[in-house]
Amino acid sequence: MAEEVKEQKEHKKEKFEPKIVGFLCNWCSYAGADLAGTSRIQYPANVRIIRVMCSGSVDSVYILRALLDGADGVFVGGCHPGDCHYIDGNYKARRRMVLLKNILNTLGLDPERVWVRWISASEGQKFAETMKEMTEAIRKLGPSPIAKQWNI
Amino acid sequence: MSHKILKVKGGDVAESCNAMLKELLESKKIHALLVPQETPTKKISFPVLISNSDQLNSDIFAPVLPVSTASILSRITKFQAANKPIGVVMRPCQIRAFTELVKLNQANPENIVIIGVDCLGTFPLNTYTDFPEKKTPTKFMIDAFTKKTEDAEKYLRSACRVCKDPIPTNADVIIGIYGMDAEKEILIEAHTEAGKKLIEGLKLDEAKEHDRDKTVKAIHEHKAKHNAAFVKEKSSIKGIDALATFFDKCVNCHNCMKACPICYCKECLFESSVFDAEAYKFLKKAESKGLLKMPSDSILFHLGRMNHMILSCVECGLCEQACPNNIPLMDVFIPAAENAQKEFNYQPGKDPKEKIPMIVYREDEFLEVGEK
Repeated sequence: MAEEVKEQKEHKKEKFEPKIVGFLCNWCSYAGADLAGTSRIQYPANVRIIRVMCSGSVDSVYILRALLDGADGVFVGGCHPGDCHYIDGNYKARRRMVLLKNILNTLGLDPERVWVRWISASEGQKFAETMKEMTEAIRKLGPSPIAKQWNI
Repeated sequence: MSHKILKVKGGDVAESCNAMLKELLESKKIHALLVPQETPTKKISFPVLISNSDQLNSDIFAPVLPVSTASILSRITKFQAANKPIGVVMRPCQIRAFTELVKLNQANPENIVIIGVDCLGTFPLNTYTDFPEKKTPTKFMIDAFTKKTEDAEKYLRSACRVCKDPIPTNADVIIGIYGMDAEKEILIEAHTEAGKKLIEGLKLDEAKEHDRDKTVKAIHEHKAKHNAAFVKEKSSIKGIDALATFFDKCVNCHNCMKACPICYCKECLFESSVFDAEAYKFLKKAESKGLLKMPSDSILFHLGRMNHMILSCVECGLCEQACPNNIPLMDVFIPAAENAQKEFNYQPGKDPKEKIPMIVYREDEFLEVGEK
Protein backbone atom coordinates (compact mmCIF):
# COMPACT_ATOMS: atom_id res chain seq x y z
CA MET A 1 0.00 0.00 0.00
CA ALA A 2 2.69 2.44 1.05
CA GLU A 3 4.65 1.61 -2.06
CA GLU A 4 1.63 2.23 -4.21
CA VAL A 5 1.20 5.70 -2.73
CA LYS A 6 4.88 6.41 -3.26
CA GLU A 7 4.62 5.25 -6.84
CA GLN A 8 1.62 7.44 -7.42
CA LYS A 9 3.47 10.42 -5.95
CA GLU A 10 6.46 9.84 -8.18
CA HIS A 11 4.24 9.47 -11.18
CA LYS A 12 2.60 12.78 -10.35
CA LYS A 13 5.98 14.47 -10.06
CA GLU A 14 7.02 13.28 -13.48
CA LYS A 15 3.85 14.23 -15.24
CA PHE A 16 3.93 17.87 -16.22
CA GLU A 17 0.66 19.61 -15.45
CA PRO A 18 0.24 22.64 -17.70
CA LYS A 19 -1.09 25.86 -16.22
CA ILE A 20 -3.70 27.30 -18.53
CA VAL A 21 -5.45 30.63 -18.14
CA GLY A 22 -8.84 30.75 -19.81
CA PHE A 23 -10.71 33.92 -20.70
CA LEU A 24 -14.33 32.95 -21.26
CA CYS A 25 -17.04 35.23 -22.53
CA ASN A 26 -19.95 35.60 -20.15
CA TRP A 27 -22.67 34.82 -22.70
CA CYS A 28 -21.39 31.72 -24.47
CA SER A 29 -18.18 29.98 -23.44
CA TYR A 30 -18.58 30.63 -19.72
CA ALA A 31 -22.13 29.30 -19.87
CA GLY A 32 -20.76 26.37 -21.87
CA ALA A 33 -18.24 25.67 -19.11
CA ASP A 34 -21.06 25.98 -16.61
CA LEU A 35 -23.08 23.44 -18.53
CA ALA A 36 -20.12 21.07 -18.58
CA GLY A 37 -20.00 21.42 -14.81
CA THR A 38 -23.70 20.97 -14.13
CA SER A 39 -23.79 18.04 -16.56
CA ARG A 40 -20.91 16.53 -14.56
CA ILE A 41 -18.72 16.14 -17.62
CA GLN A 42 -15.16 15.54 -16.53
CA TYR A 43 -12.40 17.73 -17.90
CA PRO A 44 -8.84 18.47 -16.77
CA ALA A 45 -8.50 20.92 -13.91
CA ASN A 46 -5.57 22.63 -15.62
CA VAL A 47 -7.54 25.61 -16.78
CA ARG A 48 -8.03 28.63 -14.50
CA ILE A 49 -11.10 30.38 -15.76
CA ILE A 50 -11.52 34.15 -15.82
CA ARG A 51 -14.96 35.33 -16.82
CA VAL A 52 -15.02 38.34 -19.12
CA MET A 53 -18.02 40.11 -20.60
CA CYS A 54 -16.93 39.49 -24.20
CA SER A 55 -14.02 37.89 -26.03
CA GLY A 56 -13.72 41.31 -27.65
CA SER A 57 -12.81 42.77 -24.28
CA VAL A 58 -9.72 40.61 -23.95
CA ASP A 59 -6.82 42.92 -24.68
CA SER A 60 -3.69 41.23 -25.97
CA VAL A 61 -1.90 42.62 -22.92
CA TYR A 62 -3.90 40.30 -20.62
CA ILE A 63 -2.77 37.31 -22.64
CA LEU A 64 0.83 38.52 -22.74
CA ARG A 65 0.69 39.11 -19.02
CA ALA A 66 -0.42 35.54 -18.40
CA LEU A 67 2.24 34.12 -20.73
CA LEU A 68 5.05 36.25 -19.31
CA ASP A 69 4.06 35.45 -15.75
CA GLY A 70 4.47 31.77 -16.50
CA ALA A 71 1.23 30.39 -17.92
CA ASP A 72 1.90 27.44 -20.20
CA GLY A 73 -1.13 28.25 -22.32
CA VAL A 74 -3.87 30.82 -22.69
CA PHE A 75 -7.36 30.01 -23.85
CA VAL A 76 -9.82 32.56 -25.22
CA GLY A 77 -13.40 31.41 -25.63
CA GLY A 78 -16.11 33.42 -27.36
CA CYS A 79 -19.49 33.04 -29.01
CA HIS A 80 -19.61 31.59 -32.50
CA PRO A 81 -19.05 34.25 -35.19
CA GLY A 82 -22.36 35.97 -35.79
CA ASP A 83 -23.70 35.09 -32.33
CA CYS A 84 -21.94 37.77 -30.27
CA HIS A 85 -24.12 39.29 -27.57
CA TYR A 86 -22.60 42.63 -28.51
CA ILE A 87 -23.05 41.94 -32.23
CA ASP A 88 -19.41 42.09 -33.36
CA GLY A 89 -17.15 41.71 -30.31
CA ASN A 90 -15.90 38.29 -31.36
CA TYR A 91 -15.14 39.46 -34.91
CA LYS A 92 -12.90 42.11 -33.39
CA ALA A 93 -11.43 39.57 -30.99
CA ARG A 94 -10.65 37.38 -33.97
CA ARG A 95 -8.63 40.14 -35.65
CA ARG A 96 -6.86 40.93 -32.40
CA MET A 97 -5.90 37.29 -31.90
CA VAL A 98 -4.58 37.09 -35.46
CA LEU A 99 -2.41 40.14 -34.74
CA LEU A 100 -1.20 38.76 -31.41
CA LYS A 101 -0.30 35.41 -32.91
CA ASN A 102 1.45 37.13 -35.80
CA ILE A 103 3.60 39.10 -33.37
CA LEU A 104 4.29 36.06 -31.19
CA ASN A 105 5.33 34.21 -34.32
CA THR A 106 7.69 37.00 -35.43
CA LEU A 107 9.32 37.01 -32.01
CA GLY A 108 9.46 33.23 -31.71
CA LEU A 109 7.20 33.03 -28.68
CA ASP A 110 5.13 29.89 -29.37
CA PRO A 111 1.86 31.23 -30.83
CA GLU A 112 0.48 27.69 -30.46
CA ARG A 113 0.24 28.28 -26.72
CA VAL A 114 -2.63 30.69 -27.38
CA TRP A 115 -5.90 28.99 -28.28
CA VAL A 116 -9.04 30.65 -29.55
CA ARG A 117 -12.28 28.66 -29.77
CA TRP A 118 -15.93 29.50 -30.29
CA ILE A 119 -18.08 27.62 -27.80
CA SER A 120 -21.76 28.31 -27.31
CA ALA A 121 -23.77 28.09 -24.09
CA SER A 122 -25.19 24.74 -25.14
CA GLU A 123 -21.82 23.19 -25.97
CA GLY A 124 -20.80 21.86 -22.57
CA GLN A 125 -19.48 18.73 -24.18
CA LYS A 126 -17.43 20.71 -26.68
CA PHE A 127 -15.98 22.80 -23.86
CA ALA A 128 -14.88 19.74 -21.92
CA GLU A 129 -13.39 18.15 -25.02
CA THR A 130 -11.58 21.35 -25.99
CA MET A 131 -10.06 21.56 -22.53
CA LYS A 132 -8.89 17.94 -22.78
CA GLU A 133 -7.47 18.56 -26.21
CA MET A 134 -5.71 21.76 -25.21
CA THR A 135 -4.27 20.33 -21.99
CA GLU A 136 -2.80 17.43 -23.92
CA ALA A 137 -1.44 19.69 -26.66
CA ILE A 138 0.25 21.98 -24.16
CA ARG A 139 1.54 19.00 -22.19
CA LYS A 140 3.15 17.82 -25.40
CA LEU A 141 4.72 21.25 -25.94
CA GLY A 142 6.18 21.05 -22.45
CA PRO A 143 6.56 23.76 -19.82
CA SER A 144 6.72 27.29 -21.17
CA PRO A 145 10.33 28.48 -21.37
CA ILE A 146 9.08 31.86 -20.12
CA ALA A 147 7.95 30.41 -16.78
CA LYS A 148 11.42 30.40 -15.26
CA GLN A 149 12.71 33.49 -17.09
CA TRP A 150 13.19 35.95 -14.26
CA ASN A 151 14.91 38.80 -16.14
CA ILE A 152 11.98 39.97 -18.22
CA MET B 1 -1.31 67.68 -60.71
CA SER B 2 0.94 70.55 -61.66
CA HIS B 3 4.68 70.41 -62.00
CA LYS B 4 6.86 73.44 -61.48
CA ILE B 5 10.55 74.02 -61.11
CA LEU B 6 12.29 76.08 -58.49
CA LYS B 7 15.61 77.43 -59.76
CA VAL B 8 18.32 76.99 -57.14
CA LYS B 9 20.28 80.17 -56.62
CA GLY B 10 24.03 79.87 -56.06
CA GLY B 11 23.75 76.13 -55.51
CA ASP B 12 22.20 76.71 -52.08
CA VAL B 13 19.26 74.32 -51.98
CA ALA B 14 18.18 75.08 -48.42
CA GLU B 15 18.25 78.85 -48.91
CA SER B 16 16.34 78.69 -52.20
CA CYS B 17 13.59 76.67 -50.53
CA ASN B 18 13.58 79.09 -47.63
CA ALA B 19 13.08 81.98 -50.07
CA MET B 20 10.17 80.15 -51.65
CA LEU B 21 8.55 79.46 -48.28
CA LYS B 22 9.03 83.12 -47.38
CA GLU B 23 7.23 84.12 -50.56
CA LEU B 24 4.49 81.66 -49.69
CA LEU B 25 4.04 83.12 -46.23
CA GLU B 26 4.01 86.66 -47.62
CA SER B 27 1.34 85.69 -50.16
CA LYS B 28 -1.06 85.26 -47.20
CA LYS B 29 -2.46 82.10 -48.73
CA ILE B 30 -1.38 80.39 -45.56
CA HIS B 31 -1.55 82.04 -42.20
CA ALA B 32 1.42 80.23 -40.70
CA LEU B 33 4.03 77.60 -41.41
CA LEU B 34 5.10 74.68 -39.29
CA VAL B 35 8.61 74.17 -40.52
CA PRO B 36 12.03 73.02 -39.24
CA GLN B 37 14.23 75.96 -38.31
CA GLU B 38 17.55 76.27 -36.51
CA THR B 39 17.29 77.29 -32.87
CA PRO B 40 19.43 80.27 -31.74
CA THR B 41 22.17 77.90 -30.56
CA LYS B 42 22.61 77.04 -34.26
CA LYS B 43 23.09 73.46 -33.18
CA ILE B 44 19.76 71.89 -33.97
CA SER B 45 16.61 72.39 -35.99
CA PHE B 46 13.17 72.09 -34.44
CA PRO B 47 9.75 72.58 -35.99
CA VAL B 48 8.63 76.18 -35.46
CA LEU B 49 5.15 77.59 -35.89
CA ILE B 50 5.74 80.87 -37.63
CA SER B 51 3.57 83.54 -39.22
CA ASN B 52 6.06 86.40 -39.46
CA SER B 53 8.04 85.90 -42.67
CA ASP B 54 10.84 88.22 -41.46
CA GLN B 55 11.82 85.68 -38.84
CA LEU B 56 11.68 82.71 -41.18
CA ASN B 57 15.02 80.99 -41.57
CA SER B 58 13.89 77.48 -42.34
CA ASP B 59 16.10 74.50 -42.99
CA ILE B 60 13.78 71.94 -44.50
CA PHE B 61 16.59 69.57 -45.45
CA ALA B 62 18.19 69.56 -41.98
CA PRO B 63 18.88 65.83 -41.55
CA VAL B 64 17.48 65.54 -38.07
CA LEU B 65 14.12 64.60 -36.57
CA PRO B 66 14.22 65.67 -32.92
CA VAL B 67 10.49 65.20 -32.38
CA SER B 68 7.58 63.87 -34.35
CA THR B 69 6.05 66.66 -36.45
CA ALA B 70 2.91 64.53 -36.65
CA SER B 71 2.55 64.56 -32.85
CA ILE B 72 2.99 68.33 -32.83
CA LEU B 73 0.34 68.73 -35.49
CA SER B 74 -1.94 66.46 -33.49
CA ARG B 75 -1.40 68.68 -30.49
CA ILE B 76 -2.29 71.77 -32.53
CA THR B 77 -5.40 70.39 -34.23
CA LYS B 78 -6.80 67.70 -31.95
CA PHE B 79 -8.77 70.08 -29.77
CA GLN B 80 -10.09 72.16 -32.64
CA ALA B 81 -9.41 72.23 -36.37
CA ALA B 82 -7.08 75.03 -37.45
CA ASN B 83 -9.21 78.13 -38.02
CA LYS B 84 -6.74 79.50 -40.56
CA PRO B 85 -4.69 77.60 -43.13
CA ILE B 86 -1.35 76.29 -41.87
CA GLY B 87 1.34 75.03 -44.20
CA VAL B 88 3.21 72.12 -42.66
CA VAL B 89 6.56 70.97 -43.97
CA MET B 90 6.97 67.29 -43.18
CA ARG B 91 9.10 64.31 -44.01
CA PRO B 92 7.39 61.28 -45.61
CA CYS B 93 7.37 59.24 -42.39
CA GLN B 94 5.77 62.12 -40.52
CA ILE B 95 3.06 62.54 -43.17
CA ARG B 96 2.34 58.84 -42.82
CA ALA B 97 2.14 59.23 -39.04
CA PHE B 98 -0.15 62.25 -39.42
CA THR B 99 -2.45 60.28 -41.73
CA GLU B 100 -2.65 57.53 -39.11
CA LEU B 101 -3.36 60.06 -36.35
CA VAL B 102 -6.21 61.52 -38.43
CA LYS B 103 -7.64 58.01 -38.79
CA LEU B 104 -7.31 57.54 -35.05
CA ASN B 105 -9.22 60.79 -34.50
CA GLN B 106 -6.18 62.42 -32.93
CA ALA B 107 -5.63 65.15 -35.51
CA ASN B 108 -7.75 67.21 -37.85
CA PRO B 109 -6.58 67.71 -41.43
CA GLU B 110 -8.90 70.67 -42.02
CA ASN B 111 -7.00 73.80 -43.06
CA ILE B 112 -3.73 71.88 -42.98
CA VAL B 113 -1.74 72.11 -46.20
CA ILE B 114 0.94 69.45 -46.23
CA ILE B 115 4.19 70.30 -47.94
CA GLY B 116 6.11 67.05 -48.21
CA VAL B 117 9.85 67.00 -48.67
CA ASP B 118 11.85 64.25 -50.33
CA CYS B 119 13.82 62.78 -47.47
CA LEU B 120 17.53 62.06 -47.69
CA GLY B 121 17.51 60.49 -44.23
CA THR B 122 18.29 61.87 -40.81
CA PHE B 123 21.11 61.61 -38.29
CA PRO B 124 20.67 60.77 -34.62
CA LEU B 125 20.08 63.88 -32.54
CA ASN B 126 23.50 63.85 -30.87
CA THR B 127 25.35 63.14 -34.10
CA TYR B 128 23.64 66.17 -35.58
CA THR B 129 24.46 68.54 -32.73
CA ASP B 130 28.09 67.38 -32.48
CA PHE B 131 28.64 66.80 -36.16
CA PRO B 132 32.21 65.62 -36.75
CA GLU B 133 32.56 66.92 -40.32
CA LYS B 134 33.63 70.45 -41.25
CA LYS B 135 30.44 71.31 -43.14
CA THR B 136 27.08 71.76 -41.47
CA PRO B 137 24.99 68.57 -41.46
CA THR B 138 22.55 70.01 -44.02
CA LYS B 139 25.32 71.03 -46.40
CA PHE B 140 27.07 67.72 -45.90
CA MET B 141 23.90 65.80 -46.62
CA ILE B 142 23.01 67.74 -49.75
CA ASP B 143 26.57 67.57 -51.07
CA ALA B 144 26.63 63.83 -50.54
CA PHE B 145 23.37 63.63 -52.49
CA THR B 146 24.35 65.85 -55.41
CA LYS B 147 27.79 64.27 -55.70
CA LYS B 148 26.20 60.81 -55.39
CA THR B 149 28.59 59.67 -52.68
CA GLU B 150 27.68 57.47 -49.74
CA ASP B 151 29.42 59.66 -47.18
CA ALA B 152 26.24 60.32 -45.24
CA GLU B 153 25.25 56.66 -45.01
CA LYS B 154 27.41 55.96 -41.98
CA TYR B 155 25.77 58.74 -39.97
CA LEU B 156 22.16 57.80 -40.72
CA ARG B 157 19.75 56.60 -38.07
CA SER B 158 19.09 52.89 -38.50
CA ALA B 159 15.41 53.56 -39.28
CA CYS B 160 16.45 55.84 -42.16
CA ARG B 161 18.86 53.22 -43.48
CA VAL B 162 16.03 50.77 -43.98
CA CYS B 163 13.30 53.29 -44.81
CA LYS B 164 10.97 51.95 -47.48
CA ASP B 165 9.61 55.22 -48.80
CA PRO B 166 11.58 58.48 -48.70
CA ILE B 167 9.14 60.11 -51.13
CA PRO B 168 6.05 61.82 -49.68
CA THR B 169 2.57 60.44 -50.24
CA ASN B 170 -0.66 62.26 -49.35
CA ALA B 171 1.06 65.64 -49.51
CA ASP B 172 -0.62 68.65 -51.10
CA VAL B 173 2.69 69.88 -52.42
CA ILE B 174 5.89 67.90 -52.85
CA ILE B 175 9.32 69.46 -52.80
CA GLY B 176 11.24 66.90 -54.82
CA ILE B 177 14.95 66.46 -55.24
CA TYR B 178 15.19 62.79 -56.19
CA GLY B 179 15.71 62.49 -59.93
CA MET B 180 16.48 66.20 -60.18
CA ASP B 181 19.70 68.06 -60.69
CA ALA B 182 19.34 69.49 -57.21
CA GLU B 183 22.20 71.93 -57.50
CA LYS B 184 20.28 73.71 -60.22
CA GLU B 185 16.60 72.94 -59.86
CA ILE B 186 14.06 71.44 -57.50
CA LEU B 187 10.68 70.02 -58.38
CA ILE B 188 7.62 71.69 -56.88
CA GLU B 189 4.67 69.44 -57.51
CA ALA B 190 1.06 70.12 -56.51
CA HIS B 191 -0.97 66.96 -55.95
CA THR B 192 -4.27 68.40 -54.77
CA GLU B 193 -6.45 71.42 -55.47
CA ALA B 194 -5.27 73.02 -52.23
CA GLY B 195 -1.69 72.47 -53.29
CA LYS B 196 -2.32 73.90 -56.74
CA LYS B 197 -3.81 77.04 -55.26
CA LEU B 198 -0.91 77.35 -52.89
CA ILE B 199 1.85 77.35 -55.48
CA GLU B 200 -0.05 79.47 -57.98
CA GLY B 201 1.62 82.85 -58.35
CA LEU B 202 4.95 81.76 -56.88
CA LYS B 203 8.06 82.60 -58.87
CA LEU B 204 8.43 79.16 -60.42
CA ASP B 205 9.25 77.86 -63.87
CA GLU B 206 7.21 75.29 -65.77
CA ALA B 207 8.71 71.83 -65.48
CA LYS B 208 10.32 70.40 -68.55
CA GLU B 209 11.06 66.74 -69.14
CA HIS B 210 12.68 65.04 -66.21
CA ASP B 211 13.25 61.43 -65.29
CA ARG B 212 11.93 61.67 -61.74
CA ASP B 213 9.25 59.02 -62.15
CA LYS B 214 11.81 56.50 -63.25
CA THR B 215 14.14 57.43 -60.42
CA VAL B 216 11.33 57.24 -57.86
CA LYS B 217 10.37 53.77 -59.07
CA ALA B 218 13.98 52.62 -58.83
CA ILE B 219 14.29 54.07 -55.33
CA HIS B 220 11.13 52.29 -54.16
CA GLU B 221 12.37 48.99 -55.55
CA HIS B 222 15.82 49.39 -54.06
CA LYS B 223 14.51 50.47 -50.66
CA ALA B 224 11.94 47.66 -50.47
CA LYS B 225 14.68 45.13 -51.12
CA HIS B 226 16.87 46.72 -48.49
CA ASN B 227 14.05 46.66 -45.96
CA ALA B 228 13.23 43.01 -46.69
CA ALA B 229 16.87 42.07 -46.21
CA PHE B 230 16.87 43.85 -42.86
CA VAL B 231 13.72 42.01 -41.76
CA LYS B 232 15.32 38.72 -42.74
CA GLU B 233 18.57 39.53 -40.96
CA LYS B 234 16.82 40.55 -37.74
CA SER B 235 14.50 37.56 -37.69
CA SER B 236 17.25 35.89 -35.70
CA ILE B 237 15.93 37.68 -32.61
CA LYS B 238 13.60 34.84 -31.66
CA GLY B 239 12.54 33.29 -28.40
CA ILE B 240 12.31 34.56 -24.86
CA ASP B 241 16.05 34.25 -24.21
CA ALA B 242 16.90 36.43 -27.20
CA LEU B 243 14.25 38.96 -26.24
CA ALA B 244 15.40 39.13 -22.63
CA THR B 245 18.93 39.75 -23.88
CA PHE B 246 17.69 42.35 -26.36
CA PHE B 247 15.77 44.34 -23.73
CA ASP B 248 18.37 43.77 -21.01
CA LYS B 249 19.19 47.47 -20.70
CA CYS B 250 15.56 48.63 -20.58
CA VAL B 251 14.84 50.66 -17.45
CA ASN B 252 11.08 51.00 -18.08
CA CYS B 253 11.36 54.75 -18.66
CA HIS B 254 8.75 54.56 -21.44
CA ASN B 255 10.57 57.23 -23.48
CA CYS B 256 10.03 55.14 -26.61
CA MET B 257 6.31 55.34 -26.07
CA LYS B 258 6.42 59.09 -25.46
CA ALA B 259 8.43 59.70 -28.63
CA CYS B 260 6.22 57.48 -30.78
CA PRO B 261 3.84 59.49 -32.98
CA ILE B 262 1.32 56.65 -32.95
CA CYS B 263 1.21 56.17 -29.16
CA TYR B 264 -1.29 58.91 -28.47
CA CYS B 265 -3.00 57.72 -25.26
CA LYS B 266 -3.05 60.45 -22.64
CA GLU B 267 -2.59 57.84 -19.99
CA CYS B 268 -0.81 54.77 -21.24
CA LEU B 269 -2.08 51.49 -19.80
CA PHE B 270 1.46 50.81 -18.64
CA GLU B 271 1.63 54.06 -16.69
CA SER B 272 -1.75 53.52 -15.07
CA SER B 273 -2.33 51.69 -11.83
CA VAL B 274 -3.37 48.51 -13.65
CA PHE B 275 -0.05 46.87 -12.92
CA ASP B 276 0.30 48.18 -9.39
CA ALA B 277 0.04 45.38 -6.88
CA GLU B 278 0.34 44.55 -3.22
CA ALA B 279 3.66 43.38 -1.82
CA TYR B 280 2.50 39.77 -1.50
CA LYS B 281 1.90 39.57 -5.24
CA PHE B 282 5.45 40.66 -6.00
CA LEU B 283 6.72 38.12 -3.50
CA LYS B 284 4.57 35.38 -4.98
CA LYS B 285 5.82 36.14 -8.45
CA ALA B 286 9.42 36.17 -7.26
CA GLU B 287 8.87 32.84 -5.53
CA SER B 288 7.35 31.23 -8.60
CA LYS B 289 10.25 32.29 -10.80
CA GLY B 290 12.89 31.92 -8.09
CA LEU B 291 13.85 35.58 -8.37
CA LEU B 292 12.66 38.65 -10.23
CA LYS B 293 14.53 41.39 -12.06
CA MET B 294 13.25 44.78 -10.95
CA PRO B 295 11.59 46.80 -12.30
CA SER B 296 9.68 43.87 -13.68
CA ASP B 297 7.37 43.77 -16.69
CA SER B 298 9.65 45.55 -19.17
CA ILE B 299 9.03 42.97 -21.90
CA LEU B 300 5.32 43.07 -21.11
CA PHE B 301 5.46 46.80 -21.79
CA HIS B 302 7.26 46.46 -25.12
CA LEU B 303 5.12 43.58 -26.39
CA GLY B 304 1.93 45.21 -25.12
CA ARG B 305 2.81 48.51 -26.77
CA MET B 306 3.68 46.63 -29.93
CA ASN B 307 0.25 44.97 -29.98
CA HIS B 308 -1.41 48.33 -29.60
CA MET B 309 0.43 50.36 -32.25
CA ILE B 310 2.27 48.07 -34.67
CA LEU B 311 -0.32 48.13 -37.47
CA SER B 312 0.07 51.89 -37.67
CA CYS B 313 3.86 51.85 -37.20
CA VAL B 314 5.39 54.10 -39.86
CA GLU B 315 8.93 52.94 -39.06
CA CYS B 316 10.20 56.45 -38.26
CA GLY B 317 12.51 55.14 -35.56
CA LEU B 318 11.79 57.90 -33.05
CA CYS B 319 11.38 55.22 -30.35
CA GLU B 320 14.95 54.11 -30.91
CA GLN B 321 16.25 57.67 -30.91
CA ALA B 322 14.48 58.32 -27.60
CA CYS B 323 16.02 55.33 -25.82
CA PRO B 324 18.51 56.57 -23.21
CA ASN B 325 20.27 53.23 -23.23
CA ASN B 326 20.61 52.83 -26.98
CA ILE B 327 18.49 49.71 -27.38
CA PRO B 328 18.21 49.24 -31.17
CA LEU B 329 14.42 48.98 -31.06
CA MET B 330 14.01 48.99 -34.84
CA ASP B 331 15.60 45.52 -34.95
CA VAL B 332 12.46 44.17 -33.32
CA PHE B 333 9.80 46.68 -34.34
CA ILE B 334 10.47 46.76 -38.10
CA PRO B 335 10.19 42.96 -38.59
CA ALA B 336 7.08 42.90 -36.38
CA ALA B 337 5.53 45.80 -38.29
CA GLU B 338 6.30 44.32 -41.69
CA ASN B 339 4.85 40.92 -40.80
CA ALA B 340 1.76 42.25 -39.04
CA GLN B 341 0.94 44.79 -41.75
CA LYS B 342 1.34 42.11 -44.40
CA GLU B 343 -1.11 39.86 -42.52
CA PHE B 344 -3.80 42.55 -42.68
CA ASN B 345 -2.72 43.83 -46.09
CA TYR B 346 -2.43 47.28 -44.58
CA GLN B 347 0.05 50.03 -45.28
CA PRO B 348 -0.05 52.79 -42.68
CA GLY B 349 -0.21 56.29 -44.11
CA LYS B 350 -1.08 55.10 -47.59
CA ASP B 351 -4.79 55.72 -47.90
CA PRO B 352 -6.47 58.26 -45.58
CA LYS B 353 -9.87 56.72 -46.34
CA GLU B 354 -8.90 53.19 -45.36
CA LYS B 355 -9.85 52.37 -41.77
CA ILE B 356 -7.30 51.01 -39.32
CA PRO B 357 -7.60 47.19 -39.25
CA MET B 358 -8.49 46.84 -35.57
CA ILE B 359 -11.80 48.69 -35.84
CA VAL B 360 -13.20 46.87 -38.85
CA TYR B 361 -13.78 43.23 -39.76
CA ARG B 362 -15.26 41.02 -42.42
CA GLU B 363 -17.45 38.09 -41.56
CA ASP B 364 -15.73 35.78 -44.01
CA GLU B 365 -12.12 36.32 -42.97
CA PHE B 366 -9.68 34.36 -40.78
CA LEU B 367 -12.13 31.46 -40.71
CA GLU B 368 -9.41 29.12 -39.45
CA VAL B 369 -9.24 31.04 -36.15
CA GLY B 370 -11.36 29.26 -33.55
CA GLU B 371 -11.48 26.04 -35.53
CA LYS B 372 -8.03 24.61 -35.03
